[in-house]
Amino acid sequence: MIAYIFKRIWQMIPTLAGVVLLIFFLFNWVGGDPALVLAGKITNPEQIANIRRQLGVDEPYWYQLWVFVKQIVTFDFGRSWATNEEVSHIFLTRLGPTLTIMLPVLVLETVIGVILAIGVAYVNGTVTDRMVMMICTVAMSISLLVYIIVAQYLFGFRLGWFPVQGWSESYWRNVTTFAPLPILLAVFVGLAPALRLYRSFFLDEINHDYVRTARSKGLAEKIVMLKHVLRNALIPILTNIGIALPGIFIGSFLMETFFSIPGIGREVLVAVNRSDFPVIKAATVYLAMITMFINLLVDVMYKVVDPRVTLK
Amino acid sequence: MSDMDQPLLQVRNLGIDFRLEGGTVFEAVKNISFEVPRNSTVALVGESGSGKSVSAMAVMRLLPRESAIVSPASEILFEGTNLLKLSDEGIRGIRGKEISVIFQEPMSSLNPVFTVGDQIAEILSLHMDLSRKQAWRRAEELMHEVGIPDSALRIKSFPHELSGGQQQRVMIAIAIACNPKLLIADEPTTALDVTIQKQILDLLASLQERYRMSVLFITHDLAVVGEIADHVVVMQHGEIKEQATARRIFEAPQHPYTQALLSCRPNVDERPMRLPVIADFLGPDGAARIKREQRRRGYEGDDEIVLEVSHLSKHFRLKEGIFKSRDVAAVKDASFKLARGKTLGLVGESGSGKTTVGLTLMRLHESSGGEVLFDGVDLLKLSEQDFMKYKRRIQIVFQNPYASLNPRFTVGQILMEPMTIHKLAAGNRECIDMAMALLERVGLPEESFHKYPHEFSGGQRQRIAIARCLTMKPDVLICDESVSALDVSVQAQVLNLLQDLQDEYRMSYIFISHDLAVVKYISDQVMVMSDGDVIEVANSDDIYLNPQQEYTRKLLGSIPKGWQGEKPN
Amino acid sequence: MSAVTTQALPSRQRHSPGLWTLAWRRLKRDKVGMVCLAVVGFFLLLMIASYLGIVAGNWSQEVGVSYAHPIFMAGEENIEAAQMGSGSVASNVPTADLSDIDPLAPRYREWEERTAKIQVTETPRAETLLLGGDKWGRDVLQKAIKGAETSIFVGLTAALLATIIGTFLGGLSGYLGGRVGDVLEWFYNVFTSIPYILLILSFAAVLRQGLDTIIFILACTGWTGIYRLVRSEYIKHASREYVKAAQAIGATHTRRMFVHILPNVSHVSLVQLSQHVVQFIKAEVILSFLGLGVPVDSVSWGTMLAEAQTELVIGKWWQLAAAGVSMAILVTAFSMLTDSLRDALDPKMK
Repeated sequence: MIAYIFKRIWQMIPTLAGVVLLIFFLFNWVGGDPALVLAGKITNPEQIANIRRQLGVDEPYWYQLWVFVKQIVTFDFGRSWATNEEVSHIFLTRLGPTLTIMLPVLVLETVIGVILAIGVAYVNGTVTDRMVMMICTVAMSISLLVYIIVAQYLFGFRLGWFPVQGWSESYWRNVTTFAPLPILLAVFVGLAPALRLYRSFFLDEINHDYVRTARSKGLAEKIVMLKHVLRNALIPILTNIGIALPGIFIGSFLMETFFSIPGIGREVLVAVNRSDFPVIKAATVYLAMITMFINLLVDVMYKVVDPRVTLK
Repeated sequence: MSDMDQPLLQVRNLGIDFRLEGGTVFEAVKNISFEVPRNSTVALVGESGSGKSVSAMAVMRLLPRESAIVSPASEILFEGTNLLKLSDEGIRGIRGKEISVIFQEPMSSLNPVFTVGDQIAEILSLHMDLSRKQAWRRAEELMHEVGIPDSALRIKSFPHELSGGQQQRVMIAIAIACNPKLLIADEPTTALDVTIQKQILDLLASLQERYRMSVLFITHDLAVVGEIADHVVVMQHGEIKEQATARRIFEAPQHPYTQALLSCRPNVDERPMRLPVIADFLGPDGAARIKREQRRRGYEGDDEIVLEVSHLSKHFRLKEGIFKSRDVAAVKDASFKLARGKTLGLVGESGSGKTTVGLTLMRLHESSGGEVLFDGVDLLKLSEQDFMKYKRRIQIVFQNPYASLNPRFTVGQILMEPMTIHKLAAGNRECIDMAMALLERVGLPEESFHKYPHEFSGGQRQRIAIARCLTMKPDVLICDESVSALDVSVQAQVLNLLQDLQDEYRMSYIFISHDLAVVKYISDQVMVMSDGDVIEVANSDDIYLNPQQEYTRKLLGSIPKGWQGEKPN
Repeated sequence: MSAVTTQALPSRQRHSPGLWTLAWRRLKRDKVGMVCLAVVGFFLLLMIASYLGIVAGNWSQEVGVSYAHPIFMAGEENIEAAQMGSGSVASNVPTADLSDIDPLAPRYREWEERTAKIQVTETPRAETLLLGGDKWGRDVLQKAIKGAETSIFVGLTAALLATIIGTFLGGLSGYLGGRVGDVLEWFYNVFTSIPYILLILSFAAVLRQGLDTIIFILACTGWTGIYRLVRSEYIKHASREYVKAAQAIGATHTRRMFVHILPNVSHVSLVQLSQHVVQFIKAEVILSFLGLGVPVDSVSWGTMLAEAQTELVIGKWWQLAAAGVSMAILVTAFSMLTDSLRDALDPKMK
């Protein structure tokens, strides 16, 4: 087990190197001259040269790469080009709001999605099943933007049930007043695709031979579904949660933008609009690392859910 | 005691339709009636699509609800109760308790994420009102009873940790756990090796004796039926063709289809020039036309050797981690000779390496050692380019007729591809002519040229695969389980075709199969393999009459003997 | 080779239906699928017509009053239009004299003159438009059509590119395995270990805005899923007996990869293509909304929604409805068509 984890961490190195190269390639090479981006309307060549020197972009590429790697290892990406705030500080302060929104979203969406999906899979082939699937397809076709715009207008502006947007210093106030609307909205929007996906997992399992065996034992259909099928469907469900998990760190940048939640997603988006490269670079590299570790975690979890898996 | 007189199970006027896509209906079972008496074994025999499994699943009410329609006139009486009229709850009380079932694929029939102990204990606590602890103790006893060694240890195993035979034993333990009156066995040994098959059949017979239950045994294999059944029901295309006691079926079959089924299957005791096929029995004078002339087989001193394989070996490298890997030997040091116009049979159980031999000597797998002399040239040493010339002279027909033809090619394209690759014909016209001639030779109509593989049956597809090989006029044809997936009647036709082609073109065959009877019938020499080792090579009659090795004896002893007269009891 | 045989066919023989023909027949039996196909076809025609300028050619002209009402709301009062209409167009230009610092100052005069000329010939602005008007009085219906053109074009092209990249790399990796497979797997791992949104935003951050850029971004980041699927299909098929048989008769690697396996996995790519069109249309709308998508001088459903957000607060809901509904119709139809396609193409006969 320990050996397996070490081996997996060892195997991450080439992937991580690839990520670093990709990011470096994008921002230091394709991104053109960051000094020009920063300097904006300043046309004075001396000033530009000055900025270039400050940012280190006049150095050869190999040296810039070395600096980049050093930044990653020391967790020190310097300061934001736009606000001069320390990049590490930006992420530490923005993480809280993002998780406040995204953790409940992930939990609620998964739990409600799985419960509804079992129900729908249970009545597979009936009119109810087809109606629910139809509603899901239509619901998924409406742009996320429309949901947010309308919900914000309706529940925030017109009905006044929730504040239109905002965030406070008090955690409790955030959870009780500012977070509910974005959370409910995200869960609602995410439910249709989750339901469709989980339903397909259950249907895949229902067609297996062991379900026939379970029925031939005389088990009630409810037990067949909730014990035999659910236990097997947990495997793909776990995979899916593993895929979604890294997402909770970046959050729904749309929700954060619309509802003025000072989270990581909004910060990255602002950085993209301002060409604030250090922030984007740091976000990308660290989230890639987090993703890799979550993947490892999920693979270890497989061992718990699926006895056929051997960690080698 | 009055209900002891009536049969345990009576199936009356059972009709089952399946709704297919596009609104068509397929009549899977057409108004059949049969009975299962108490304490006896009834065999439901038929080829694929005969409706035998569907009928058995109807007894358990396990047919898919969305697509299967059981006709309203149908009755399935179990101890006088019509199972079809029972409530859902009622049938659940029958399932597993009164009637239980074992399936063909034990691996997929067991739930992969629960231990076998869990799965046996589950049914015990459901029907027998046992506590969890009692259920587990009883489960362990049952595992011991079905012959799983170390049952105290094995009870905590997951299905994938057991061998195929042990998995099927677990399925049997589940099935007999609640002492059912009827056991439905749906092709329980088809997926298993012949030695395991024998063990499972013996186990079933002894359990039936001990628990005094009836068995409804579904199979395509008449040899197995002959060993176990008291009554036989022969089905074809959803209809019952004949039902009678086993003695009558085997000694005086009435229906031509039964007669055909009984004689088109090769059997170890004789070797007719040509296997009888169903068509032989349908004419007015039926069985009379069957020729009883026997064929002589075996290598002789003056045989010309086309292919000489010596010390062939093949290791597969299993990756374990990034740098480590482990070699697994699939074939160890195999040597044999193949004579022109003769057949070498390769037999062995799954994992014996017999298929690997075939694939390695024609370089579909890279070899790990040894040489393959063909025309005096070592094929394994040739460069890819030089080997191209020899490629067409050794060809292969695979097992699965549904996977061996490219579904996006027409039959014409399939046949002409090798001609264009090897430039075997002068022009397009000649290509078509050759393809047409070959189609005729393998017994397919001319229109087949423009059709796609999905329009053909399994046997016809195998003919197409054979025709594809014939385009290259190979010297050696490797038949890798080529008839194993086919129904017996079709199997006989394809075997006859192969024999005719060998007589005509003097091709040499390497005939790879797990089916000992078929290998005996078609082979001049037989090579027995086990775990990658060659156990024994000899002329086929010698091997079957006088096996030298213990393993060979065990293998041959496991072949179902078929009808040997009334069971002694 | 197919060309050779078809040309040599004696004409009296009829061709049997191939798997594609059978799939098409299955699709034709699926009524929902056919309706969806018709809807998608209509949108595609609309896109072409709009591209050729047959419809919505003058979407950018200010044909109505500001926030012109939709035709079914003709009676209601339009405060915004009344306010804007009270002053002349020129009065909207800031009155302060900025000529000292504004480098364009000398040209204002010229523009004003031009505007004046145009105004003379301008037809009176409509009070109502079929689906209403936006802030500048542009026809929302025409904008929606033009926006459909942009969104569909981006979705379609990007999905096509992603499918080609994914299928090609997936095929290479799945068929060849070994070193090539390892390198491609590494590449795949690199791309998938960065969360998808961040990957898109990273690309968007360094590239200039434009239609081609957004297509490039979506294709470059969206191929991974297709790669994975096609790769596993290729691995599955490469060990199938028909491919082994092709190897046995001496077919080259290229032939086995493209002539034998590709047609047998192409249905997977087709379904993926269809699925990705939907996904990319949605993505384009969001990116354009955020200002990372199409350039400012063109219109897409995303930019319409961006305008609609502020309009909704003053009760002008029609632009939101037009963009939201037309997108929902297309995407619903496309998704359901994808489901039907999958059912029709799923070769139960192996």
